[in-house]
Amino acid sequence: MDIVVRAFFAFLFVLIVTRVMGRRELSSLEPFDLILLIVLGDLIQQGVTQSDYSFTGLLLAGGTFTLLTVAVSYLVFRVRRLRPVFEAEPLVLVDDGKIIDRNLRRERMTPEEVAAEARLQQIPSLDGVRWAVLESNGRISFIPR
Amino acid sequence: MSDVPDHLDLARHRDDPETAEIVARRALFLLLTAFAVAAILGAFGQRPQNSVAAADRAELDVSAPSRVRGGLLFQARFTVEARGAIENATLVLARGWMESMQINTIEPSPTEEASRDGDLALSFGPLAAGDRLVLYMQFQVDPTNVGHRSADVGLYDGAELLARVDRTLTVFP
Repeated sequence: MDIVVRAFFAFLFVLIVTRVMGRRELSSLEPFDLILLIVLGDLIQQGVTQSDYSFTGLLLAGGTFTLLTVAVSYLVFRVRRLRPVFEAEPLVLVDDGKIIDRNLRRERMTPEEVAAEARLQQIPSLDGVRWAVLESNGRISFIPR
Repeated sequence: MSDVPDHLDLARHRDDPETAEIVARRALFLLLTAFAVAAILGAFGQRPQNSVAAADRAELDVSAPSRVRGGLLFQARFTVEARGAIENATLVLARGWMESMQINTIEPSPTEEASRDGDLALSFGPLAAGDRLVLYMQFQVDPTNVGHRSADVGLYDGAELLARVDRTLTVFP
């Protein structure tokens, strides 16, 4: 039973950590973020399974994580008001070529980062952007004028 | 026709994004910070704490963490300073010391081990006035061992209680 309880709390912890870290860090996966995620995964595994090396332990912990993932997904799907709790809302970063500083600050982003993302999508200048939206998954979608 | 992308609400997604989300994120960040600060201050254990009981014939000093976590290796040190002759110095450890704990080492080995009302009695023979007995025990906490337990330690001369230290051991999951 303990392993299921530990998996439950580890799942909550992962939810908290991902919300605190913010969508940009999770989606950009810079080398530092990637290593951080791997280290976090290792720490979480130790906390959940501890010295249990059994296949039963794997079934219990893995099953609990899967169950909770589906449950949260269903909850978010059914209860609209819960969506901001579990997943971020889209955020407009650029409107008609103009950067909205307040929204960038909110996501700890700089105009240079937005410009870099634009270049990655073959957009040389933000002047040519009608809308830039930071999506729930942390990626920026650009809609040209 | 508006050129606003579908499912984007400018009021909500551009002008006045949900403040509850940012408040919740900051609150969670503060929560994680509070945990880290509490850990630095020793709230979740590992740091040894000294408990001393002094009596006419002996002084007992117990140095061990009173808060530990599942899987943690830790040491307990029991020091007995004899102020008078003790025929058979016996340390009696409450069950909390042993319950769901791995005992890796007891040094020096006692001359006799016994159960005394369910507690563990370790006898070390005679001590003369001025003698010092230092006992080291190394433990590891079972991961399933969670909660509070009595970790009292009594110093006896045979069956006579000389000094007693009252402690509690808290095991975090």
